[in-house]
Amino acid sequence: MSAIHTENLTKKFWRVEALNGLNLDVPEGAVYALVGPNGAGKTTAIKILMNIFGPTSGHAEVLSVESTRIAGQPFTSIGYVSENQELPEWMRVGALLEYLRPFYPSWDRTLEDDLIRQFDLPRDRKLSNLSRGMRMKAALASALAYHPKLIVLDEPFTGLDPLVRDELIQGLLERAEESTILVSSHDLAEIESFASHVGYLEQGRLRFSEELTQLVERFREVQVTFDGAARLPEKPPESWMQINSSAAVVRFIEDRFDPERTRTDIRGAFGEVRDVTFSPMTLREIFLAMAKAGRNAA
Amino acid sequence: MKQILNIFRKDLRRFWSEIAVSVALLVTYSWNDVRGWSGERDVAAYGGIAAIVGYQFLSGLVTVLLPIAWAFLIVRVVQGEALVGDRQFWITRPYEWKKLLAAKVLFVVITINLPLLIADVFLLAKAGFPPTHYVAGLLWMQLMIALILILPMATLATVTASVVQTILAILGVTLYMFGVAWLASVIPSSSFSGPADSLELILVIVVCVVVILWQYAKRKTAGSRWLIAGLGIAIISIVAVAPYNTIVSHKFPRIAAGEPLPVQLALLPAAPIGDSDAPEKEKEITVQIPVGFSGLAKDSIVVVSGVMVSLDAPNGLRWNSGWVSLGTELFPDTKDIMQIHFSLKKAFFEQVKSASVKARISLALTEYRDKNRRDFVTPHGEFLMEDVGYCFAETSYRREIHCRAPLRTPSSMMITSDLSANTCWAMGGESRVEIRLIVKNWYQNSDSGPAELGISPVKNVDFHLWARNDNGARPIVAGICPGTPLVISNPELVRRFGTELEINSLHLADYRLRESDSGGTGFGIRLR
Repeated sequence: MSAIHTENLTKKFWRVEALNGLNLDVPEGAVYALVGPNGAGKTTAIKILMNIFGPTSGHAEVLSVESTRIAGQPFTSIGYVSENQELPEWMRVGALLEYLRPFYPSWDRTLEDDLIRQFDLPRDRKLSNLSRGMRMKAALASALAYHPKLIVLDEPFTGLDPLVRDELIQGLLERAEESTILVSSHDLAEIESFASHVGYLEQGRLRFSEELTQLVERFREVQVTFDGAARLPEKPPESWMQINSSAAVVRFIEDRFDPERTRTDIRGAFGEVRDVTFSPMTLREIFLAMAKAGRNAA
Repeated sequence: MKQILNIFRKDLRRFWSEIAVSVALLVTYSWNDVRGWSGERDVAAYGGIAAIVGYQFLSGLVTVLLPIAWAFLIVRVVQGEALVGDRQFWITRPYEWKKLLAAKVLFVVITINLPLLIADVFLLAKAGFPPTHYVAGLLWMQLMIALILILPMATLATVTASVVQTILAILGVTLYMFGVAWLASVIPSSSFSGPADSLELILVIVVCVVVILWQYAKRKTAGSRWLIAGLGIAIISIVAVAPYNTIVSHKFPRIAAGEPLPVQLALLPAAPIGDSDAPEKEKEITVQIPVGFSGLAKDSIVVVSGVMVSLDAPNGLRWNSGWVSLGTELFPDTKDIMQIHFSLKKAFFEQVKSASVKARISLALTEYRDKNRRDFVTPHGEFLMEDVGYCFAETSYRREIHCRAPLRTPSSMMITSDLSANTCWAMGGESRVEIRLIVKNWYQNSDSGPAELGISPVKNVDFHLWARNDNGARPIVAGICPGTPLVISNPELVRRFGTELEINSLHLADYRLRESDSGGTGFGIRLR
């Protein structure tokens, strides 16, 4: 069962295509990281899911509700926090929470107090007088205190110091069991520490979407050492990226790693070689490799 | 309801300073309004001109500031949950648009309508009119304020993201209105736009309501702005293509053959003038055609509501003024000549001035019957005048009857007086009339609603008499003072009709208005 499901979702701003046939499924209970370079369409996708924009074509369902119908009551089950959200800055933290309380039947006063304590939020301080990090924490507290089924976070960690990031992530993880989380971010190192699924969006298209463990298993940095001078293969397999050579070594990134199959491919491409090593990659390295590959392809 | 009250309470807390300012201005307005009813008399007697000027300045200032404060409050509260943009935190919260809209309506009702209603009730009671007798009128005033101020301001606030943007939008709308007014001024007959005006008003109200509902329901700002732009284009189109001649002929149908006219009209010979050549510097020539009127019944009044003049010269040249809206009153016992004057381009005039021109003067006339005539001697002190309200004769400054009326001024009331019986003191340089000289003043209010638009429900009405000394001698004593005998009546509309005067051979050169006679160029009627 998907908490979020989209089919051929397209969004055009005049002639600019921000999303191009996005097919996305976020399983219930997942912590789904939507990653991609700037302008990839992450924020546009999230705003369509939240019915802030309407799609140009295609459709999306969020918690089994058509995205274009998400307004009012469905938001009692959704917590949305964005880096560029305009909060009512004239309000004090306590007044904001007090104001929002009656909107949510499932608002949990105990949880509210816990979040205030956990995030070290001053109830009597105006939002306009808070730092960026504190404001994000206040926004997150106000989006978590009613046990939302779905938490949607658009670039929540941008510009925050590591301590605040940790606090936010900790706050999220504690809620992860009862919610589905969709988070878009550039902060891949942080995402890697808590995401269960990852989707890579580029130029409005979803390049891949899978469980993080599978993804990390799938990508390897491969180093092939020759006895003599290294030579580049004439027709490398499609799953090899960023092939380069120096002296007696050829390096590339394999995006469909399987020890047996990859060794067979190497033999087919190079013949006999002296040594082959496979190194696991971090999410950040995978992301960079995908981004570069996309740029080169473009 | 819980959500409505929650949003409402939040807005009250947030905008308390704006609310306080508008209430303070309303209190100031009410205090100054009360001061004005009886105050002017006392001010004139005890405070002098400076006090009157002070009162009028404050009155003018508060009358301008109070609607601005209300408009600001409306814009602020609507934009408290801004409908323009995609970053507002509230759009991803469980707000229900109907409840949000209801909360905003509740806020406006509680912070604008209710204080105004309380002030109006207070003012009516203070002026001596039991408020319970005027409930419908008080509610009507609230409706007028809602349609004229609240609805347009709320509409602009829903399609703009900030107060600055709203101010720019208001400036844009103001410029547009000037543009439409200019367009109307250059389109012939457009002053007879009655049904077109009503259509425009209905369109404005409908579009405002649709935009507000659409914005709250869908936040389709681009679409809403296009809708407003479409309204602007529709109004221009209506002004440009409205069938004004049809409107006039429908409103003022030609009188049936054989049916007697309430007034007989006849072209009079032109007054001789020496030189018919126009001075070189003039670009327009004013032509004045004297038309005599007679046969008006003693209790009959005819108003020249509009005139259209068309000229056909033998050389094929034509000119048509289009219908021009006027309001010249023809009474049976005063003047009997009306001078219809209009301006022609000098080039046209020079081409046709010596020719025998065929002229057609079309008149849109409204006939009234003077009814309910009663003699009235102006009392001392405050008195109750039927159909008006509480009045007093102000003797020291303006020499007029100053009244305060509940909700609206009289629909139609005429004051007739023989100046030879005037009881006012002659001020410096004035001369007293020795022979019978009848002067009239007719107060009309075409507004048919139970109340007039305005902040105060207490309307000031000043009845005065005025007469010009045609001989150029000293001014005439013509005020209303205690003891001045008057005849008060209520002219009632009988019918509207149209008629034409055809002149087959008109020599325009004979009718050119000399500069010394000129009372201004353009189109108009002077009575002689």
